[in-house]
Amino acid sequence: MVDFARVQKELSECNRDVTISGIRIVPQSDNLLHLSGTIPGPIGTPYEGGTFKIDIILPDGYPFEPPKMQFITKVWHPNISSQNGAICLDILKDQWSPALTLKTALLSLQALLSAPEPDDPQDAVVAQQVLLSPVLTPMHPLDFHLSFFQYSLVSICVWAPQYLRDYPTFAGTARYWTETFAKTNSIGNEEKVQKLLEMGFPEDLVRTTLKEVGDDETMALEKLCPG
Amino acid sequence: MYSRRAGAVVWNLSFSHPLNDWEVGDFASLLTLLESVVVTESVRDRRVWASNSSGRFYVKAYLEEANPGGIVAFPTQLEPLSALAAEYQSGSRLARKNKGLFLCVSVHVLGEEYAAIRRTRGDGNCFFRSFMFSYLEHILDSQDKAEVDRITAHVEQCKKTLQSLGYADFTFEDFFALFLEQLESVLQGSGNSISHDELVTRSRDQSTTDYVVMFFRFVTSGEIRRRSEFFEPFIMGLTNSTVEQFCKSAVEPMGEESDHVHIIALSDALGVPIRVLYLDRSSCDTGGVSVNHHDFIPASGDPHNAAGGSSDTINPIITLLYRPGHYDILYPK
Repeated sequence: MVDFARVQKELSECNRDVTISGIRIVPQSDNLLHLSGTIPGPIGTPYEGGTFKIDIILPDGYPFEPPKMQFITKVWHPNISSQNGAICLDILKDQWSPALTLKTALLSLQALLSAPEPDDPQDAVVAQQVLLSPVLTPMHPLDFHLSFFQYSLVSICVWAPQYLRDYPTFAGTARYWTETFAKTNSIGNEEKVQKLLEMGFPEDLVRTTLKEVGDDETMALEKLCPG
Repeated sequence: MYSRRAGAVVWNLSFSHPLNDWEVGDFASLLTLLESVVVTESVRDRRVWASNSSGRFYVKAYLEEANPGGIVAFPTQLEPLSALAAEYQSGSRLARKNKGLFLCVSVHVLGEEYAAIRRTRGDGNCFFRSFMFSYLEHILDSQDKAEVDRITAHVEQCKKTLQSLGYADFTFEDFFALFLEQLESVLQGSGNSISHDELVTRSRDQSTTDYVVMFFRFVTSGEIRRRSEFFEPFIMGLTNSTVEQFCKSAVEPMGEESDHVHIIALSDALGVPIRVLYLDRSSCDTGGVSVNHHDFIPASGDPHNAAGGSSDTINPIITLLYRPGHYDILYPK
C-alpha cells in the first residue's frame, strides 16, 4: 500500500523550493500514483538549457520499493535509452532506500546527466556508435532509426562508450538532441506537435521539422507532405 | 537451458551474480534435483507453474502450492536448542554449508548455556528483525519502565542527529513513530497493550516489521555518519568505501545484511548491549570446544550507561546466534 501521506509531503516539500532546485513534481492523475517530474539540464554539460521531463510511477510498496522512472524527453546519454527513456541507475533498483525521496532520485538523475557511468550503459547505440563508425559527425536524430537498425545487426560485446572514446562527437549529438527535444520552445509547441502527431507523422520528424521551419505549423505540414 | 552431450543432459545455468557461500548448498540441491528430471523431447513444452489471473508469476503462489502444510512463519515459535543440534545431525541446508562434526560439538556446547532458539526471516534484515523482536520481548517480560524511558530519550536524540545531518523530517518520522508505538504497546496498562502471542503475530506482519527495520536502519546510519571518524577505519577495512557510500549502499537500503559495523552503531545509538555468538568456521581456530561470542557494549561516555564501566557487569539484553549470513535469537538458560 502506497503511503499517500508521505507522497503528499514529498510533493509540497519539493515544489516549495522549485525556484532554487529547478526540480518540480506534479501529479498526472488524481490518485498520486502517476506523477511527472522535470529537471533542468545541468550547467556546463551538453544538456544545459534543456528541460527534461520524467514519468514517475509509484509501485504498491512505495517507499519500500523504488519509484519507476523513465525519461519522456528524448535524451542522448549512455545510461538512458534513446529509444524509450529507460534509465540505468542503481538507486532506482537494488540500492533504493526509503531514506531517499522522489526529489533526491530526480537530483540523482540530474547528477547522472552531468556524470555518465560508462561502465554500466543502458544505451548500446550511444555506447557503440564510435566503435562502428569511427568518423562521425554529430548524429542527426532523423538518421537515428536507420542507424539503429544497422547497429543492431552487429552484436558487439565490448562496451566502448562514445562519450569516452570520442567525447566531442558524443557531446555534439547530446547537445543536438537537447536543442531538438528539451528546449523550452519545443515544449511550448506541444499543441502543434500534438496536431501533427494525430495526422500520423512520427514524433521525431514532427519536432525536427517544426524546428527547421521556425515553429510554423503550415510550413511544417507542407514540408512533411512531399509533393 | 540444456543441451545433450554424448547422450547425457547438460544444464546450462547462468547466474545474475556470483554465488554467495550460503547459496552453494541450495545450488547443489538444485543440481541434484535437475539430475532426476527426465526430458522427453517428443513432448511439447508446457508451463507447469501457471500464472495468476493478471498473468504474473509469483514465487509465493508456487511456495504455497509446493508446501500444502503451510510456510514457516518468521519469527518462529520458540524451539529447544536440541532442534539446532538435530539440524546439524540431519545435515540440513545451513549445516551442510558449515560441514561439520566440529560444529555439531559446538552446538552441544551452546546447549549448556542456552535453552532455546527463535529463528528469524533470512531476508537480509534478520539482524534488525531479531533485534526488534528480542528487545520488545524483553520489555514485555520485564515491564522495565525505566528502560523504556531511557531508550525513548535515545530515540529522541537519534531524531536530532538525523535532523542535524540534513534528513528531511518526513523521510524518517513515520518509521520513528511506529517504533515508539510498538514500544508503548508492550508496556502493560497503557490501554492498547498486547500479549506475548500478539507480539509474535505482529512481528510476522510484513508492513509493521519493515517500518521498524527501516527505523533501525535510520538510527544506524545516523550514528555512523555522526561519528564518521570513529567508523571510517572499520568501514574501510570492510568494504573499502567511504562512510557516505557505506551508509547509502549498505545501511539504508532494505535487505542489505548487517555486519559488526551495523551492530556497534545500533548498540551505541540506542544504548542497548548485544551479545552475538558466532557459529562459523572461525570457531575452529580456538582449537577447543567453545563458541566465540562478542559483546557489543554501548560506548562509554553515555550518561545513561556510565554506571557499568567494566564490561562483565553489563548483562546483554539481546543475545543473537550468528551463522554465516544469518542471525537468530538465542535464549539463555
